[in-house]
Amino acid sequence: MAPLSWHSVDLTLDECIKCNICTSHCPVSAVTDLFPGPKYVGPQAQRFRENGQPRTPDHSVDYCSGCRVCNEVCPTGVKIAELNARARAQIVAEKGLPLRNRLLGRNELLGKLGSFAPALANFGLHNPLSRLLAEKVMGIARHAPLPTWSTSGTFRDWLRRTRDQRLKSSKKVVYFHGCATMYYEPFIGKAAVVVLEHNGYEVIVPEQNCCGLPLLSNGEFNVARSYHRSNVGRLAGYARAGLPIVGTSTSCTLTLKEEAPELLDYHDEPATTLKLGTYDIFEWLRERYEAGELRTDFQPLPLKLPYHAPCQQRAHRIGKPALELMELIPELELAESHARCCGIAGTYGYKIEKYQIAMDVGAELFEFVKAQGRDVRYTACDSETCRWQLEHGTALPSRHPIEILAAAYGLYDLERRDVIAGKRDRSEKR
Amino acid sequence: MMLDLLVIGAGLAGLTAALRAAEAGLRVKVISKGMGALYWTPGTIDVLGYIGAEERAVQRPWERLDELPARHPYRIVGAGRAQAALEWFRACAAELGLEYNGREDGSNVFTPSPVGAWRPSYLLPAGQRAGDAEDDRPMIIVGFQGMRDFYPHLIASNLKAQGQAVRFAMLPWSVLSERRDRNTVQLAEALEDPKTQQRLIDALRLVVKPGERIGLPAILGREAHSQVLTALAQELNTAVFEIATLPPGVPGIRLATALRRGLEQCGVRVEIGMEAIDFHAEDGTIEFVETATSARPLKHRAKWFLLATGGVLGGGFDSNHEGRFWETVFDLPLTTPPDRQQWFRPLFLDPQGHPALRGGVAVNEAFQPIDAAGNVVFNNLWAAGGLLAHADPIAERSLEGVAIASAVAAVEAIKAQAFARVDHRAFPSETP
Repeated sequence: MAPLSWHSVDLTLDECIKCNICTSHCPVSAVTDLFPGPKYVGPQAQRFRENGQPRTPDHSVDYCSGCRVCNEVCPTGVKIAELNARARAQIVAEKGLPLRNRLLGRNELLGKLGSFAPALANFGLHNPLSRLLAEKVMGIARHAPLPTWSTSGTFRDWLRRTRDQRLKSSKKVVYFHGCATMYYEPFIGKAAVVVLEHNGYEVIVPEQNCCGLPLLSNGEFNVARSYHRSNVGRLAGYARAGLPIVGTSTSCTLTLKEEAPELLDYHDEPATTLKLGTYDIFEWLRERYEAGELRTDFQPLPLKLPYHAPCQQRAHRIGKPALELMELIPELELAESHARCCGIAGTYGYKIEKYQIAMDVGAELFEFVKAQGRDVRYTACDSETCRWQLEHGTALPSRHPIEILAAAYGLYDLERRDVIAGKRDRSEKR
Repeated sequence: MMLDLLVIGAGLAGLTAALRAAEAGLRVKVISKGMGALYWTPGTIDVLGYIGAEERAVQRPWERLDELPARHPYRIVGAGRAQAALEWFRACAAELGLEYNGREDGSNVFTPSPVGAWRPSYLLPAGQRAGDAEDDRPMIIVGFQGMRDFYPHLIASNLKAQGQAVRFAMLPWSVLSERRDRNTVQLAEALEDPKTQQRLIDALRLVVKPGERIGLPAILGREAHSQVLTALAQELNTAVFEIATLPPGVPGIRLATALRRGLEQCGVRVEIGMEAIDFHAEDGTIEFVETATSARPLKHRAKWFLLATGGVLGGGFDSNHEGRFWETVFDLPLTTPPDRQQWFRPLFLDPQGHPALRGGVAVNEAFQPIDAAGNVVFNNLWAAGGLLAHADPIAERSLEGVAIASAVAAVEAIKAQAFARVDHRAFPSETP
């Protein structure tokens, strides 16, 4: 493994005053003894870790889900989640990585492979026998909410198919779709494209890689670095030209902005340009709204909608722009979740030894949804794995806020999860 | 979406200021770097416990404010307005489900601290009221084997040395939890489970003698605190009281949670994890404050700004080894001695306190930060709480009183500007 500089984390370590606010909020240590809490595993154990040190002082760091709630609540600014992620990478460098974690880190590859024959792949992965096998052989929990491959083609297939209908404009925006939109949920990308086009923007979708987050959270820093390098190469030029790069996956955008540069000490000019040019899609739309440039021709959406801002969204530290914009939609009755985490934390809850922890962590959120009453038809959440976990824990369908916005513009069918054909042509004639 | 008021800081001063402003119909938002300093406090509302190096504690705080330094926040607010602010706070807390009580005659109540000293407070949460030094029933202080940061023998022996009839008992850890390790917040949550409560009641029955009031660590429920407290008192047929623990302090967390919930009910957003790092001002008017995000700074625009970032511990100030001491958001002028040698006295617990801790942001009658010449620094900025100059809230035991009184006074001044549209120099000297 390439040597890491501990510089940025070292400095924040000394800010820890041992006040235990992080431990009081940690959703994982609240439900299991296997994780003693962020203070112990982070700043305290960190005093016994050093670059090149042969043995890690604390293996329980593997039970950190990386949700970053500790960072959020820390009153003194200790980067606890980063300390933990680096410590885990050190364990991986020492001991190697089980096949399962190697596999779960390779989101993009899995997406690509399954998309050759999605129906077959779905059957292959999602029948009880293979789930049982995957659990016994690899340790992927058989009940964990794994995604299904899109059987109507990838997001890029749709872009290719609808090439002639796509808006051309002098106002341009770059879209980072991430692996989940590409292979599992192309409808999220469709919703994003129609919302951006409705606001007069041409959407550019350059070739792109997995952001590398699943690799970072499984401790494979070297591979993550090559993914990030590739994304920087493909995207920094747009950012340099002043084009915003917006994403619908809050964890992908967080990785491009902060996780990859910080964890990998990747701070050259192109990476920094990409960081500064990347936005969560609602963060960017809120800027448009505040500049008076967002169309607000929303149709009433008479729904009761519990909204959970996922941990990776909150880690952006941008407030809750999705909530602020959804509040503009007439008749939409929003309920804001204050649950700490849904539990899944990317690939954490897929692992057999962590599945129950993830479900116990999520209970707080599932109960919040249940408390909203029986007339709730959907929940909303910005992050894909969190939506899958929410659906798993509540048995209610979950939607991305961009789908809600697209539906309020009259461009999207929330139930079928597809754009409403022909709508965009009309909106173009305004 | 233009805000009327941006409050920076989610401690007691920031949260009460936001509540007061929202009650008046202002559009308010609170931003904070992390969870506020209430998480470190015992949840009591202390007005004034000590003056200067005087060893004897203050009995009647309102009668002694005049003995404080001339520009002390209490002297600016005035005893009448400060008392009214505390009364308002008590009513708010009651509405939010937290009962706070003091003495009818406005004198301090003394209750056991985590090391068994008698600590002067003005208002106590219902759960701590029965620890009153003036209550003549004997005490039993009960702890749990293996629970960190709560030592009943220490509390009992110190109280005994001061004449209190008291003994202590240790219960096994398994009464509280089947888990290996829990902190106070997690224990408080666990005690909301009726089965755990029953285990505790059964265990207490074996050690408590008739007529004794029971002192327990402050872990008697988090959200359902009053139910847990009532259940214990009824089943054991005696008074039960909480003693604050080392942080995290559950009574302080209950208060922070209740205030945040109250704000949410008024439509006020409290955004945690947002560190204010910069601002922009034109002609003495702040246009926006910037917070750090995962990429570029985020601008928060508002008409008025209230700084409630706290003192050294809360993060309102920072210092470096070169002897610079500064206010972290606006780099406001400070009264702190510029010479580093003058910051501290030789004794850590010097009864005089340390000059660095009494230094801070000086304000005018309207709680607007001023410079050494007395000029308002920014015409749309106010300050409240632990960062104010001329108070030493820890040594004085005045942290919460100063926070609430100054927050209310600052918001009254802001309201005067908001509703009367008066020139910013002309503030009413009294509020109705």
